[in-house]
Amino acid sequence: MELKLENLTKRFRETAAVDGVSCALTEGVYGLLGVNGAGKTTLMRMLCTLLRPTSGAISWNGRDIFALDAEYRAILGYLPQDFGFYPEFSVDDYLGYVASIKGLRPAAARARSGELLRALGLEKYRGRKMRKLSGGMRRRVGIAQAMLNDPRILVLDEPTAGLDPGERIRFRNLISELAGERIVLLSTHIVSDVACIANQILLMKDGRILLRGAPEELTRALPEKVWRCQVGRAELERCLREYRVSNVRTTPGGAELRVLAPEQPLPGAVPEEATLEDVFLHYFGEKGDGEDAAL
Amino acid sequence: MLRYELKKVFGRAGGRIALAILAALLVGASILAVRSVPWVNEAGVEERGFAAIRRLRAAQREWAGPLDEAKLRAVIAENARIAATPEAQSEDWRVSNIAYGWRQGFEPIRELLNCAFAEGFRSFDACRADRLTPDDAPDFYPNRVRLLKDWLAEEGAELFSQPEKDFLIARYEALEAPMEYDYALGWTRLFRYLPTIQMIALLVLGYLVAGIFAGEFQQRADAVLFSSKLGRSRAVRAKVGAGIAIVTLVYWALVGLFTAIVLLCFGADGARCPVQASFEGWKCFYGITNLQKYGLIALGGYLGGLVILLAAMWVSAKARSTALAAMVPFALLFAPSLLLNLSSASVDKVVGLMPYALLDMDTTLSAFNYLYRLAGRVVPSAPLLFALYGALALALPPLLYRTYRRADLT
Ligand SMILES: Nc1ncnc2c1ncn2[C@@H]1O[C@H](COP(=O)(O)OP(=O)(O)OP(=O)(O)O)[C@@H](O)[C@H]1O
Ligand SMILES: [Mg+2]
Repeated sequence: MELKLENLTKRFRETAAVDGVSCALTEGVYGLLGVNGAGKTTLMRMLCTLLRPTSGAISWNGRDIFALDAEYRAILGYLPQDFGFYPEFSVDDYLGYVASIKGLRPAAARARSGELLRALGLEKYRGRKMRKLSGGMRRRVGIAQAMLNDPRILVLDEPTAGLDPGERIRFRNLISELAGERIVLLSTHIVSDVACIANQILLMKDGRILLRGAPEELTRALPEKVWRCQVGRAELERCLREYRVSNVRTTPGGAELRVLAPEQPLPGAVPEEATLEDVFLHYFGEKGDGEDAAL
Repeated sequence: MLRYELKKVFGRAGGRIALAILAALLVGASILAVRSVPWVNEAGVEERGFAAIRRLRAAQREWAGPLDEAKLRAVIAENARIAATPEAQSEDWRVSNIAYGWRQGFEPIRELLNCAFAEGFRSFDACRADRLTPDDAPDFYPNRVRLLKDWLAEEGAELFSQPEKDFLIARYEALEAPMEYDYALGWTRLFRYLPTIQMIALLVLGYLVAGIFAGEFQQRADAVLFSSKLGRSRAVRAKVGAGIAIVTLVYWALVGLFTAIVLLCFGADGARCPVQASFEGWKCFYGITNLQKYGLIALGGYLGGLVILLAAMWVSAKARSTALAAMVPFALLFAPSLLLNLSSASVDKVVGLMPYALLDMDTTLSAFNYLYRLAGRVVPSAPLLFALYGALALALPPLLYRTYRRADLT
């Protein structure tokens, strides 16, 4: 079971949304982490045969996925970033339809969607119209449709967007349950979504995979150190400007900062254990994406 | 799969409203058709409705049979007898209406006499029959050909080439005399109302099928569709199939129901009479019966509609816009009426082969300007239209399938 990307490039006119990506994926959960516009969606759409690469190749067990055609799509499950649906369909109709276009037999489809609806806590909504579902429920239906054919390759594009914290935790647990003998590739720009469930993190920036590794490896390899330090109100402004700050907590006297720096930035700064968020900040943030990373 | 595609179309409120509009159209057109024919009773007062139709039918069926010299003489004589009555000559229209009531039984034949003995091919005199004597009867059939010949020799001379003239004359001469005549109001009502129903149905169907292909993009459901196993094969075929099924079922349900209602109300008599045996078809050069003409109108509307709607679906698949697709039927229907204003013979010939000509089969079958040269022979438009659009109806579904399945998403 190997999904292999070789020098994969996709250009839209002059911009290269995906730029020479090479990597091989085997069984496991992969977190594709990158800021807005990094090229995550473009990469995933190519993996789902929705976009043709400008150059490079994608192969499944050594065979080109575009040549495999339906045979490849049969083992694919995809939850798009902007997951569209048919507003007038009930949940049952929708899953029935997707099962039919995935080539499932009606009896098998009914059994499988019953199973998934139970697992996703959607059983009591199965007769409800899609347009009457909340965003979180819709996304769960989205995951159910992706899982209908028990795919070897499960591609989830920002599956946690728009979910409340409770949903998000439930979702993480769900992904861990769904992981099994398959490749799960899920994209996000929210570090905490993948920090504890992904076996591998792929950091994507400007169309390239910057870094790849298990979360612990990435934190261990972080070239900077993480420091906790207390600063007064007067210094706060300057510190925010000069250092990469991954967290600010105001205290009565000023603020407690979490700072990334190669050397001790301030007297009294205490070294801390690095987390994946710090890694994200190191590669992506001057300061701007701190907000996302902090989520 | 097909079931779900149909559900996508009719699950929407818009889909159900469209069906309701067609149901209202059916009811409205049926009422109009039934109320379109008056019966003038003994007191000279107009009646309308089922009873009126029954009386009219009974009166006209008495004159059914071959329209030979004896029958024409009888009509002319009876008409003259009525015209001589004080009621007929009365200045008071209420009184003269009583006399009209007496004529109702043979009025369709009287109208044919008006045509046959008109001054010229293109002129019409509603009282011409009143000035005939029974001895004019033998000229009835020869006159039809003579009027055409005279017209083609004079005013019409410029309009047609010699082979076209020969063709028209030969067609006129081929009409068998005497014609079988019967009350045929059921059929002529259908000829009158079907084209309008077909066109409205086409516009509504355009709205229904416009979303089948573009809707996936507009609802952003395309990614799941095209990344599924059958998303670029059977799922697309199901869409094409759903489009054709919707057009076919809705069209034939509507046309079938309207036909059933009209024929139940008016009777199906006269099915085997030539179309020339009624006023509307007198000048027609196609040798067909009322039943055959009905078949051409119903099939022509279906074939023309199907091709137009397949084109609309193709636009829906290609341009990914429901609105643009729904406008295709409008464009294809109304473009010819703009072109016709240019009134030139060559433009006419183009218009005669446009889908509009199939949808207005009633007009097409009586149009003299839709004549074409094919392998040295003159061919009228009807067979050409069926051949051309039959081929298109076969060619478009595979094209639609290929266009949509290749949708490489951007
Ligand atoms: N169809 C397209 N045409 C032109 N440019 C595109 C198209 N799709 C994406 N791009 C560009 O490619 C780049 C990568 O976009 P992509 O959607 O893959 O990013 P992303 O990582 O998924 O971002 P986000 O986190 O916002 O979803 C962006 O600069 C975007 O503007
Ligand atoms: Mg994206």
